[in-house]
Amino acid sequence: MTIKPDKYSVVGKRLPRVDAAIKSTGEAKFSEDIILPGMLFAKVLRSPHAHAKILNIDTSRAEKLPGVKAILLNKDTEEIYAAPDETVLATDKVRFVGDEVAAVAAVDEDTAIEALGLIKVDYEPLPAVFDMEEALKKESPKVHEFYDDNIPDNINVSFGNVEEGFARSEYIREDRFVINPTHSCFSEHHMCVAYFDSSGKLTVWTPIQSSHFIQKNMAYNFKLPENKVRIKIQNVGGAFCGRGSDRTYHYIAALLSKKTGRPVKLRFTSDEEFLVYRGGGKYIMDFKTGVKKDGSIQAVYGNFTIDSGAYLATQFIVLRFLALNLQMLYKVNNAKCEGKLVYTNNPPYFFHHGAGMVAMRFAFGSQLDQIAQDLGIDPVEMNLKNAVTKGYTTPSKIHYASCGLSDCIKKTAKQSNWKKKYGKLPKLRGIGIGCGMIRSGGKGMFLYDTSAAFLKIQEDGTVHLFTGLPDMGQGSYTAMAQIAAETLGIRLEDIIVIAGDTEVTPLDIGAISQRGTFTTGNAVKAAALDARGQIAKLAAGKLETKPSNLIFRDGKISVKNNPEKAMNFSDAISEALNSTEGRYVMGRGFYNPPITAADPKTLEGNSSLAYSFGAQIAEVEVDPETGFVKLLKMTAAHDVGFAINPMAVEGQMEGQIFSGMGQTLYEECLMENGQVLNPSLLDYRTPRPLEIPEIESIIVESNDPYGPYGAKEVGQGPIQCTSQAIANAVSNAIGVRIKEVPITPERVLAALRSKDRDSCKP
Amino acid sequence: MKKIINLKVNGDIYELAIEPWRTLLEVLRENLGFTGTKKSCGLGTCGACTVIINGSPVLACLTLAFEVEGIDILTIEGISQKGSLHPIQESFIKHGAIQCGHCTPGMIMSAKGLLDKNPHPNKDEIKKALAGNFCRCTGYKKIVEAVEAVSEGK
Ligand code: FES
Ligand code: FES
Repeated sequence: MTIKPDKYSVVGKRLPRVDAAIKSTGEAKFSEDIILPGMLFAKVLRSPHAHAKILNIDTSRAEKLPGVKAILLNKDTEEIYAAPDETVLATDKVRFVGDEVAAVAAVDEDTAIEALGLIKVDYEPLPAVFDMEEALKKESPKVHEFYDDNIPDNINVSFGNVEEGFARSEYIREDRFVINPTHSCFSEHHMCVAYFDSSGKLTVWTPIQSSHFIQKNMAYNFKLPENKVRIKIQNVGGAFCGRGSDRTYHYIAALLSKKTGRPVKLRFTSDEEFLVYRGGGKYIMDFKTGVKKDGSIQAVYGNFTIDSGAYLATQFIVLRFLALNLQMLYKVNNAKCEGKLVYTNNPPYFFHHGAGMVAMRFAFGSQLDQIAQDLGIDPVEMNLKNAVTKGYTTPSKIHYASCGLSDCIKKTAKQSNWKKKYGKLPKLRGIGIGCGMIRSGGKGMFLYDTSAAFLKIQEDGTVHLFTGLPDMGQGSYTAMAQIAAETLGIRLEDIIVIAGDTEVTPLDIGAISQRGTFTTGNAVKAAALDARGQIAKLAAGKLETKPSNLIFRDGKISVKNNPEKAMNFSDAISEALNSTEGRYVMGRGFYNPPITAADPKTLEGNSSLAYSFGAQIAEVEVDPETGFVKLLKMTAAHDVGFAINPMAVEGQMEGQIFSGMGQTLYEECLMENGQVLNPSLLDYRTPRPLEIPEIESIIVESNDPYGPYGAKEVGQGPIQCTSQAIANAVSNAIGVRIKEVPITPERVLAALRSKDRDSCKP
Repeated sequence: MKKIINLKVNGDIYELAIEPWRTLLEVLRENLGFTGTKKSCGLGTCGACTVIINGSPVLACLTLAFEVEGIDILTIEGISQKGSLHPIQESFIKHGAIQCGHCTPGMIMSAKGLLDKNPHPNKDEIKKALAGNFCRCTGYKKIVEAVEAVSEGK
């Protein structure tokens, strides 16, 4: 842990979160804790078939059940599309086990469940397809009629000239990697309360990462003015990229509320969470990389086949992120990406932990590690040799104004004792490195990437800060309050954050794409500077100096180089108000990074202003009897630009390493005929406290020139390194490369057996 | 068919009419408004709903309210008293053991269950006591440190 010089008094400090006390007592409200008078409970009738025609739905018996207040079928959904290929309830066909067919609102959950049992649906089962390679065959059943095949999206992008790059290469390797479906496992399930009140205003309480998009979309779909859609994001029980915006369930609850005139709560059960889960889907990744004998990368070709499940959801964005990422971590002049999404009758997938990039980093990182082994190069050196650096511009024109990647690699290597351990550990012990990067917000989906903030200052100098950025656990309320407090020169406890309520807080694209600290942080800083400018003008007269000569710190406003001449911050505010002018101070600001979105076809352009980087070194031990891999230690470094709150940064790193370990060694949604076979935390194995590895976190500060106080993201950055580091350590331990995650005991034992077979060959 | 029940929550007696199949979790949250006890899986797999009954941590989602009639039930709302937080709560805050906070009340109740019986547990005992509590955000490291610090009086 580096001790910071006292350049700042609030940012850069290990301060407890502003919302920790009420979270520790359970007072902090989650959407699920919203209980309104007259509230109804909704339940959704889901398809038991993976693919079937709906012939008839008979609701007559359910309607007669006392306590049932409304039944919703597709015909009642006002032709709303939750996504371009997805209606709110199934029209004439269901496409996966769990697809939504009808919904009921009743006085309590038991009645709603009973009513579902009374709805009779006649289905005509259709042939279904679950395997991507099967789905790609001509004769395969079509999941959606409006496509001739099951490929809703594909890309073919090149940067530089891969043919030339491969021609120049002295060593080329091709591998196929498979990444199996995983689940987000939020502690707080998907849910919402929706209420159309008598004025025609729709209020939705829901855990989500962006109130902006859901407000816009729901207003559009319900043909309401935007100010009549109020989204209230309460505390959010984890998100990990998986709670972007509006989904079908928001519309189901809202439509039921419209029908009944009462608030409606709809919450997924544990089963439903897994059934309709939209976690990370299955990826098949073919990688081909060419290098010189010294390990310098000459060309990379990635061919990705991604299961989209029954609907498109967000996977088309993933595809583009993956293509770009081929040339974002290493100095790769020639890269080409071909990829396609495949419709199947599996549940639809969604962003999950860094939008598919963890999968891609596992594959690419594993292949590079193998190339290093093949060529007898130390993997740390291999990573250092190719690492992007500050000032570098990638072939797709992404530019790094700050970059601590090499620092991260060197620091983790040193702290983990890499040199003493690599190749020198006892049998079945291994060490491996993984590197990663991710952007801090940016444009792409939209032309703008705006966050706005404002604050008002009470007469006693305390502040209300308003921001649209929700806190899903990442600690954004605290980070935003720290930035505002530092800028105004007051204490953290002088600030109260009001967030994520579209009726009160200003526009913010939300906590997506790791943009919070960087983008909203800049907006908050701008709002605080605006207020500070007003206060400085008022104080300058009193202190007989120029406003620019004033320093705001520790609750005082003082004159530069003359600290005796000072006044209290609160006095400045109070005196301004208690005057004939009666001045009241409010600050406002917004931030939209001055960049343009990448070209949608060529993907060229610098679509973000800041990028963060990391490296991790894993040490593992493999049990040859059981095949179980134990992660003993992870040494992790992350370049966050500047740590607004080092304790929160460490918390993010630790959490992501732990989750990344789960995804790499334990977690897999076992699928059979479109059904999740392990739909509960009992059967879907995630790591628990007994499996905590030793973690050493190193914060690298590259001081981003555009970040607030130099800060960048620590959103889904750290987890980018974890899978590859563990996989590389396993390969180092057992001498066989496992190219499929999770690296379960079965896969380890199979790998060990194949190695034995190979070594028995003459 | 509703029946009358007397529940003793955080020292107070509540008389209410509920169906015999209601879980303690539902009754605490929905009938009594004790929403500090969180609901997650509802299946006994995550520990979010942990309360203390007769001194031991119990999963409220797997307990019928009628099973615990008249027995001392302690919820997260009952451990901080007269406006001051319980030392475990203080320690969670200080050590950065809280992120989204959805698992936190259950985690704190499990920790309390342990520390009440064994005030100075070692690391492994802490990990075992928390093994039934699922946390997706923190990676548990700071949670274990927070509990350890309480036991060491730090
Ligand atoms: S809600 Fe009771 S164990 Fe999960
Ligand atoms: S803090 Fe989010 S689940 Fe534990």
